[in-house]
Amino acid sequence: MNDQAGEAALSLQGLVKRFGATRALDGASLVVRRGSLHGLIGQNGAGKSTIVKILNGLLQPDSGSIAIDGRQVVDASPRLIERLGVHIIHQEPMLVPGFTVAEALFLGDEPRLGAGRSPVVSWRTMRRCAEEAIASRFGLALRGDTPLDQLGAAERQIVQITRSLLKAPRVLVFDEPTASLVRSEANRLFAIIRRLREEGAAVLYVSHYLEEVRDLCDTVTVLRNGRDVATLDPARTSVAGMAALMVDRDLGAMFPTRSSLPGAPLLEARGLGRSGAFADLSFTLRAGEILGLTGLVGSGAKELVAALFGLAPADRGTLLLHGRAVMPASPSEAVGLGIGLVPEDRRRNGVALDASVAENATLPGLVRFVRRFLLDRGREQEAVRGLIARLAIKTPGPDAPVGALSGGNQQKVSLAKWLGTGATLFLLDEPTVAVDVAAKVEIYRLLADLAAGGAGILLLSSDLAELRGLADRILVMHRGRLVAELRAADATADEILTAASGGAAGSAPDGIAA
Amino acid sequence: MSVAAPGPAALRGIDLARAVRVMLPAVMLVIVACFAAASPTFRSGGNLVHVLINDVTLPALASLGMTLVVSTGGIDLSVGTAADLAALAAALTVTQGGDALLALSAGLAAALCVGVVNAILVAGFGIAPFLATLGILFIGESVQQLATNGGAPIYVVSNFPPLLDRLAHGAMLSIPIPLILLAMLSALTRLLLARTAYGRRAHATGIAPAVARHSGVPVRRVLAITYILSASLCGVAGLLLLATVKSYVPLSGNAFLLDAIGAVFLGTTISRDARPNVPGTLLGVLLFGVLRNGLLLVGWNFYWQQVAVGLLVLVVLGVSFGVRRRGRE
Repeated sequence: MNDQAGEAALSLQGLVKRFGATRALDGASLVVRRGSLHGLIGQNGAGKSTIVKILNGLLQPDSGSIAIDGRQVVDASPRLIERLGVHIIHQEPMLVPGFTVAEALFLGDEPRLGAGRSPVVSWRTMRRCAEEAIASRFGLALRGDTPLDQLGAAERQIVQITRSLLKAPRVLVFDEPTASLVRSEANRLFAIIRRLREEGAAVLYVSHYLEEVRDLCDTVTVLRNGRDVATLDPARTSVAGMAALMVDRDLGAMFPTRSSLPGAPLLEARGLGRSGAFADLSFTLRAGEILGLTGLVGSGAKELVAALFGLAPADRGTLLLHGRAVMPASPSEAVGLGIGLVPEDRRRNGVALDASVAENATLPGLVRFVRRFLLDRGREQEAVRGLIARLAIKTPGPDAPVGALSGGNQQKVSLAKWLGTGATLFLLDEPTVAVDVAAKVEIYRLLADLAAGGAGILLLSSDLAELRGLADRILVMHRGRLVAELRAADATADEILTAASGGAAGSAPDGIAA
Repeated sequence: MSVAAPGPAALRGIDLARAVRVMLPAVMLVIVACFAAASPTFRSGGNLVHVLINDVTLPALASLGMTLVVSTGGIDLSVGTAADLAALAAALTVTQGGDALLALSAGLAAALCVGVVNAILVAGFGIAPFLATLGILFIGESVQQLATNGGAPIYVVSNFPPLLDRLAHGAMLSIPIPLILLAMLSALTRLLLARTAYGRRAHATGIAPAVARHSGVPVRRVLAITYILSASLCGVAGLLLLATVKSYVPLSGNAFLLDAIGAVFLGTTISRDARPNVPGTLLGVLLFGVLRNGLLLVGWNFYWQQVAVGLLVLVVLGVSFGVRRRGRE
């Protein structure tokens, strides 16, 4: 660790956090010192966001301790945490969209008329203070009455940071701050973060972008499976070395052995593009194939899946499904074409928690139970019982609300929806996030079965073990483009991560603060 | 979250949840028993039929439509507008010498127009149902006032078409025709909501619109059908009102609106998963009708009746929400 750095400003020791059967954190520790920039890296599900939520006061650890400036913190609420001087800058600024710069900066703490004692907000003072605060820190002339939605992502980020700085933070936590920024904006942000360090702040920097972390941070902690597996000096470690530490090596047994010989092309994309999201994507998915897809936030991989499912259609290029040109303009059209989606945000888009297992499981393919205008509920129940058995869904019965099931079983319901609908193309968006190991294995087995039955599967995942263990080939996207296509059998985690963070494997980083 | 073994607290929660579901029928029985004891007129058979026909049938028809709309997560403030415009169109047709069938068709067409406009606003443009139907409510009021020189009723007493008259005052097998009509439309709506693919999709749209969309449910089409059906059912109510009183009084349909909303939400309390449902809605409308009629017969000041109705809604829904929230925690 760095000897020059000051005393510990933030110290987490042995944090454990369980969600049902899964341990999101399993004894994670890290120390951020005053005047230092501390990086925190790890794959999705490694526990990064759980740590951020604990630091935010939104989650309480089951065990372990948190100390801020040497003071133990118990039962932290968001208010308490903020009073102790910990501020979090989120990936998407947490600002009220319709507000002006000044309103957002001072929300909840507005300057008042009459020496600050009257209940009337002094808009003039507020605007002036806002403009001064931003100009003095960032040398940026922003008008206080500009609505936030007229600002760029970086400027909104600056408003968010200024809001935190006004409260004299002791510890600043940046959670994937560059995901929505372009390179020049990101460079400006890095300069700001370096200055904060010089002014003596303790900074925890959470990111997927390994090169960013290497170039910016003094110390890096690597999280894997909820534990800190290494704390290292980035000046003496390569990006590939960091990536290797992030990846679990002993999960091979989780994946079914697959001996599929991919058949005829099922989905062919030719020059597919959507402005602002992705461009010039060409690839082929064959029947019986599991095609992996990965990319960091902002890579366009999510948008590609959204386009294939008709949520946000592509506006350029062609798409052939079973050799026929298609371009689904809505999800219902996509479903009609035999495309199914298991969305990432399960609780919002995947399953209706207040509806029953049966109602969820048959929603996309409801028409198959219609007999003379009426639903044949006997046959529906029978089909649902079959699905429950096939996916080993642990539920009190078909009529139990999905909200009563564990996360893994909810995810199985989200997948069960597409079985029996005649779907031939399955789009899976992070299908095993927040899913316990047992359910993961069931889901992998089912995906392998579907592929063996001739379906095409597009597996969007940021879990490298999953991609390498399950997929035949892996497509890697970076900032809207396909940057690599790898055979899953030979692809190393380092190769995938390096391609995803912008450099071709082994090549020089594309100049962060060169 | 997880399916924990039901402890004693969970068991109590289940019993309470059951109790909530029988609360509305129980309140109904208690109220009927009290009024029957207090007022000999109330317990006469003639009064019962009177309540059913005059106080229940028309708001019940509007409430059927509202049940569908609330199932999809929306609300229809223009139920009165659809009813009134149907009555207006039919009344004008009759005064121009049109026959009963033409009048009925004109009325239904007018209601259908209201439904189609709502469908375009809600399903097509994605305007929040509350605001879209509020706009139609305002516009509908003006249309009626413009068409009637500022709100003068249209009386169609002379040469009123006998078919229309029979619709309101006739009977089959000594059952009044309005009641037969209500029973048939209720049964159809019940079947539609509880037993068809449309009904399942409507509920899914109301419970979790994003999930419905991601499951390929044609959400916009479901919404469009719903608002058109709602307006059509209200159109039937408006025509029945015209046939009953043989006159069209502008803005009289608005009386259905609040009862319909109240009845649908009261009705959700008898459902296991707190969903809008036809039997519950009918029970709610019936409760309102009985309560008003009973209070009138025991001599309560007319202006106090709404207080009783309001209290009833608040108590039943308050208890139901409270218990369900505790069950979730």
